[in-house]
Amino acid sequence: MADFSRIVTAMGWPVAIILAWLAGEVLHRWTRLPRISLYGLVGFLMAQLMPDSFSSGASSTVTLLANLAFGLILFEFGYRINLHWLRINPWIAVSGLAESAATFAVVYLISHLTQMPPLTSLLLASLAMSTSPAGVLRVINESDSAGQVTERVLHLVAINCVLALFVFKVVVGFWVFQTSGSLPQAVSHSLIELGGAALLGGLLGWLVPALLRQLGALAQDGTLAFAMGVMLLVLLAHALDVSPVLATLTFGLAARHSRVMLSRTERNFGAIGELLAILLFVFAATALEWERVLAGAALGAVLVLARFLVKTGVVMLFARAGGISWRKGLLTGVALAPMSVFVTLLLEQTRYVGIVLVDELAALAAMTLLLEVLGPVLTQRALIWARETPDEEEV
Amino acid sequence: MPLPPFKSSTPLSMGVELELQLVSLSDYDLTASSPDLLHLLGRKPFPGNVTPEITESMIEINSDVQHQHDALLVQLELVRDTLVQAGERLNIGICGGGTHPFQKWTERRIYAKPRFKEVSALYGYLAKQFTIFGQHVHIGCASGDDALYLLHALSRYVPHFIALSSSSPFVQANDTLFNSARLNSVFAFPMSGRAPFLLDWASFERDYFAKMEHTGVINSMKDFYWDIRPKPEYGTIELRVCDTPLTVARAAALASYLQALCAYLLERREAAPLEDDYLVYNYNRFQACRFGLDGTLVHPQTYESLSLREDILTTLRRMAPYGAALGGTAGLEHLVAVTHEGSDAHYLRQQFARSGSAEGMVAAAIQRFRTG
Repeated sequence: MADFSRIVTAMGWPVAIILAWLAGEVLHRWTRLPRISLYGLVGFLMAQLMPDSFSSGASSTVTLLANLAFGLILFEFGYRINLHWLRINPWIAVSGLAESAATFAVVYLISHLTQMPPLTSLLLASLAMSTSPAGVLRVINESDSAGQVTERVLHLVAINCVLALFVFKVVVGFWVFQTSGSLPQAVSHSLIELGGAALLGGLLGWLVPALLRQLGALAQDGTLAFAMGVMLLVLLAHALDVSPVLATLTFGLAARHSRVMLSRTERNFGAIGELLAILLFVFAATALEWERVLAGAALGAVLVLARFLVKTGVVMLFARAGGISWRKGLLTGVALAPMSVFVTLLLEQTRYVGIVLVDELAALAAMTLLLEVLGPVLTQRALIWARETPDEEEV
Repeated sequence: MPLPPFKSSTPLSMGVELELQLVSLSDYDLTASSPDLLHLLGRKPFPGNVTPEITESMIEINSDVQHQHDALLVQLELVRDTLVQAGERLNIGICGGGTHPFQKWTERRIYAKPRFKEVSALYGYLAKQFTIFGQHVHIGCASGDDALYLLHALSRYVPHFIALSSSSPFVQANDTLFNSARLNSVFAFPMSGRAPFLLDWASFERDYFAKMEHTGVINSMKDFYWDIRPKPEYGTIELRVCDTPLTVARAAALASYLQALCAYLLERREAAPLEDDYLVYNYNRFQACRFGLDGTLVHPQTYESLSLREDILTTLRRMAPYGAALGGTAGLEHLVAVTHEGSDAHYLRQQFARSGSAEGMVAAAIQRFRTG
């Protein structure tokens, strides 16, 4: 019997991935709900049923694979960001900065009012700024949307993730060096770390296209080379202890601006990309525990609602100045709802410095679960209401 | 709907319509963004007119009624600048070209407007394959009889316009070897081709249009996809064979060439058009689509074999005094240069060779549209 339980434990991950995939396909066909919502739900339920099978440390294979999956998505994400546009239409960046700052302020205020320690409040506020790039990109690709809501959501997410990352690192730095250091030191440390990651990604984003051009095989081999670049970068970032998130995002950004094109067939990095993505979304929910989710449900729901209202309101405020209708501005804000993968991986990465926020903070666990399942649904609805997806009767 | 009476308009006035591509700057594929673009453009007065087209990745612009090449060009440039500016605010690339080189027709989205939805229901995949981009040139006519005379007298010159405007060498990611592959898509429609050989408006209305309408096959002139068709409500004939060029300068030049030709033909010094002119029509049209300026024509009345490039140059020389009288010399000179430097199709193939990808070709087209 001991053997049997060992086998069951070992089979936890593959079974969860298969179940998630099946649930995603079947329910997507019935209800048209985004597949990734169901992946998260399956991951969460499986982890509650068989907690032993899903325990993972910061350096476990699964965590590494999840980081790789996230890296691939972030590369593709960065590839769709047009820096030139941000220069020409400054209102995009302005609304990104404003919605991030407002979210930070409101979430901090609410958690402060509930007697949370200031540093915990700061960390929570910094994480709440971010929208999950993985959730957004997967929903956009799944629903094949195109239009202003789609484009703006992508650019706003890039902005709020980089900001969230920066603030989070500053707060962590402050926390870690609280006894010996100071705020300027924490800021500069955080800047150096992010700068290093960006440099790494930028370098590779210049190198790989240059190599491809030398090989003269632009159209055919691009995807494979970029996938290997992401692998290299994720592992290197871990070894050097810089942010793999920013590194892979910059890699995609730099590769785009070096003018080598991905063809559309390589969306999501093909079948292996799909597989890794399922693992990623299952993984993101396995770290959550039922008791904590329940305990933090009330505060979590309040924070989710506040974050949603602030993001929607602020983005809408700048809509007309940015060249779109109020309605599309509102829907852009709604589409910014997802938040989970980014947060989970960031926390996983900072566990080693003794910050176990998910474990300590029940509200964050509740927020993460709620937004992992509900967030993609909101993004998808926003794209449909904005009429940026193909008509269903025509498909 | 009976045919409206032919409204008399100022002879040789002209107007240009251009169908343009909306392109994503991330992957250079067509992107369904005309609703967003039209929303933004709707906020300020537009220096011309802009309308949605059948799929959401195209828009159509048109000039006002113009009389001279230079004024037409100024207006088209103004329209272009307004469009490019709006496109930049929304992260949309805008370009000319008769086809998008690698779009998949299955991915196109039909614009939400009843007529487009009806066309889509009737023609099925043809409607989505109709994601092609043409330039239409209107020339004002004093009467319906003049319009029909010009329509048939121009038939011999149709290959000139195909070759000079050709900008659709690639379809579905492959080089078709055609210079204007776009016209092959038009040919799939049952009501395409040439107008029936009738030279007076009364008999066109009575002996053709009324009968066709009675059959229930057509409702209005809009249902005919002819190479040249009369437009009675404007009092014009409309030349529809041109690919949208990569630049508005070429669009204006093509219009002024047509204007000069009409001025010349209206003097009726050339042999009158005959039904038999159409014996060689489809062959000549094919030569122009396939080989562009390097094609060979058969003269419809002498049956002489002619190099298309030579025939264009000869005609442009003959049109010089008409062009000068109408203020269109610059336009004609632009086209002389095209016969030397090659058409837009040639330019696009060069860009493909240089950048190694169809995406690079679209990027070059976007760049050319902004400045040319």
